[in-house]
Amino acid sequence: MKMATLSRPYEKLGGLESTGGSAAPSPIARTRGWLAAWLPAIPLLLLVATCLIAPVVMLVWQSVTGMGETGLSLDLWFRVLGQHANQDAILTSLVLAAACATVTLVLGAPLAWMISRMLRGKRAFWLGLLNVSANFGGIGLAFAYMATIGTVGMLTLIVQGLGIGFEAPREGSMPALLMAYEYTNVPLFVLLTIPAMSILRDDWWEAAQVSSATRLVFWRRIGVPILSPFLLAGWLLIFTWTLGIYGIAYGLAGQSGATAVHLITLQIGSALQSDVLLGPGRAAILAVVLMLFASTSLVLYRLLLRRATRWL
Amino acid sequence: MAVEAGSSAVTKSRAAASVRSSDRKSVGRVGRAVFFGFALFYFCVPMAAVLIYSFATRWTANVLPDGYTLDWWRATLADPRIQSAFFTSISLASLTAILDIAVVVPAAYWSRVRNARIRPVVEVAAAVPFALPYVVIAFGLMQFSGVVAPQFQGTFPLLVAGHSAIAFPFVYWAVDGAMAAAGIERLTETAEACGASPYQALMRVVLPNISAGLVTGGLLSFAASFGEFAMAQIIGRSLDTVPLWSAEMIRSYTDTAGSYNRLAVVTLLTFAVLFVLSALVVYWNRGQTVRLLPGAGASDQGGRQ
Repeated sequence: MKMATLSRPYEKLGGLESTGGSAAPSPIARTRGWLAAWLPAIPLLLLVATCLIAPVVMLVWQSVTGMGETGLSLDLWFRVLGQHANQDAILTSLVLAAACATVTLVLGAPLAWMISRMLRGKRAFWLGLLNVSANFGGIGLAFAYMATIGTVGMLTLIVQGLGIGFEAPREGSMPALLMAYEYTNVPLFVLLTIPAMSILRDDWWEAAQVSSATRLVFWRRIGVPILSPFLLAGWLLIFTWTLGIYGIAYGLAGQSGATAVHLITLQIGSALQSDVLLGPGRAAILAVVLMLFASTSLVLYRLLLRRATRWL
Repeated sequence: MAVEAGSSAVTKSRAAASVRSSDRKSVGRVGRAVFFGFALFYFCVPMAAVLIYSFATRWTANVLPDGYTLDWWRATLADPRIQSAFFTSISLASLTAILDIAVVVPAAYWSRVRNARIRPVVEVAAAVPFALPYVVIAFGLMQFSGVVAPQFQGTFPLLVAGHSAIAFPFVYWAVDGAMAAAGIERLTETAEACGASPYQALMRVVLPNISAGLVTGGLLSFAASFGEFAMAQIIGRSLDTVPLWSAEMIRSYTDTAGSYNRLAVVTLLTFAVLFVLSALVVYWNRGQTVRLLPGAGASDQGGRQ
């Protein structure tokens, strides 16, 4: 907002140049004015238009025209969404993302709070560690998971070595994916929400104590209501990102072959590589479905944050 | 008398309360220690497992490997295919970072000093890779390039363009934040009052003042491209980047040729690259406050700081 007012004097530079006081600018002058206003941004806008906007529009278009074969119809949608495997994938993805985001919230919120109240050196150590973990993802993380609690992973061998009958969850199963995802989700969540933790001022806890409030009452009446929009926003972000995770799932699901869980992202990948039935059409529909989920939750995220920052 | 009795009652109850709260405090302290111990364990053990794996001879039956060797490291570092995968990934990531800085800086600069209408357009665009999974963008790009420019399909330039498109928000947020912090509107006015052209003002006044943002943005986009797997797999299948090599290894099922041990080495190397990058980002931004959740009116927050 501040920026807009600052740059207003320049905003109509092109216009001023071209009108020169008269009412009707010539088309050439108008083009020149437009160029003066937009030229430096054109390379970026071109990149964005060709590599982000056009592909997304193209997918939506292909999904409602049956990959350009049927004309405008939802026929492909019905065929793809009617397949059991696809319904299964959509449901599993949503459940996994919601479960992951919830576990992240439960573990991450107290962690973020405690780290935000640490002394400087200790906090730097934890932030460093979280930064490192947040960077660990994709195939590397899938492999690290296998080496840790896979069928012959380190922890599995240790626990079995202690004489406990322990069966590691299959690599491509839900619990395995959840554990592997949390490795990056929790740090991401903490790093995202730590700044919000400073909103809760220490004097408020003192003020609450003076009014003889217990810690529980403080959290229920003051802490949680103030922080909850930020925490929920974090939940939504993790939910959105978890829906779209591909690398970790690809690495882990490969270990379990056909018994691995069905996820939207995995289905898109495999539909591209080998699908005799619907091929790219199936991938397009699933991609648009994923797009709808992601954009809905991003809109909710924006609304939540607008609400949250109103009190700052 | 009455006052005294009252005050002693207060002290007594206060003492009782402090005993209770110190009890609760020590319980809290133990709980906290257990919680952080668990977190430390959770974050460190997988890395330790990969590290041990990279030195292990055979590790399928006992708690610790049967023996240790440096062979995997030697073989992996000497493997021409891995060398070329690293070369491809590093050049891909460098070109991505360079292209992103080259297109983002002029746009961000112009939106601040001349045309404020650029900002909302760029911010909406920046939300796209932030929200949409890379798999979706990659698949769309594959379909789109198949129609518009089939000769580019599966090529290195297309992957550079795709990675630049998904990594540009990192550069934009870093550069725009640095511009806000440096107050480049005023710097530009001053430069122009002294007779500098917009180009001179950008090169000689603005860029030196936003170097931290440039470095941060460049490092972040480099990291995003270096570790990116989904798009590389979908639109660059003929290429051999580090994540693509790792994916092939992890899917090789059997551990006969020591492929998992070599994968452990490559995982550690990849990890080291990303770690150094993030350490550099932290180093370049030391002393600066982190902004609230991304997209939370980054410009407003930046202006306020």
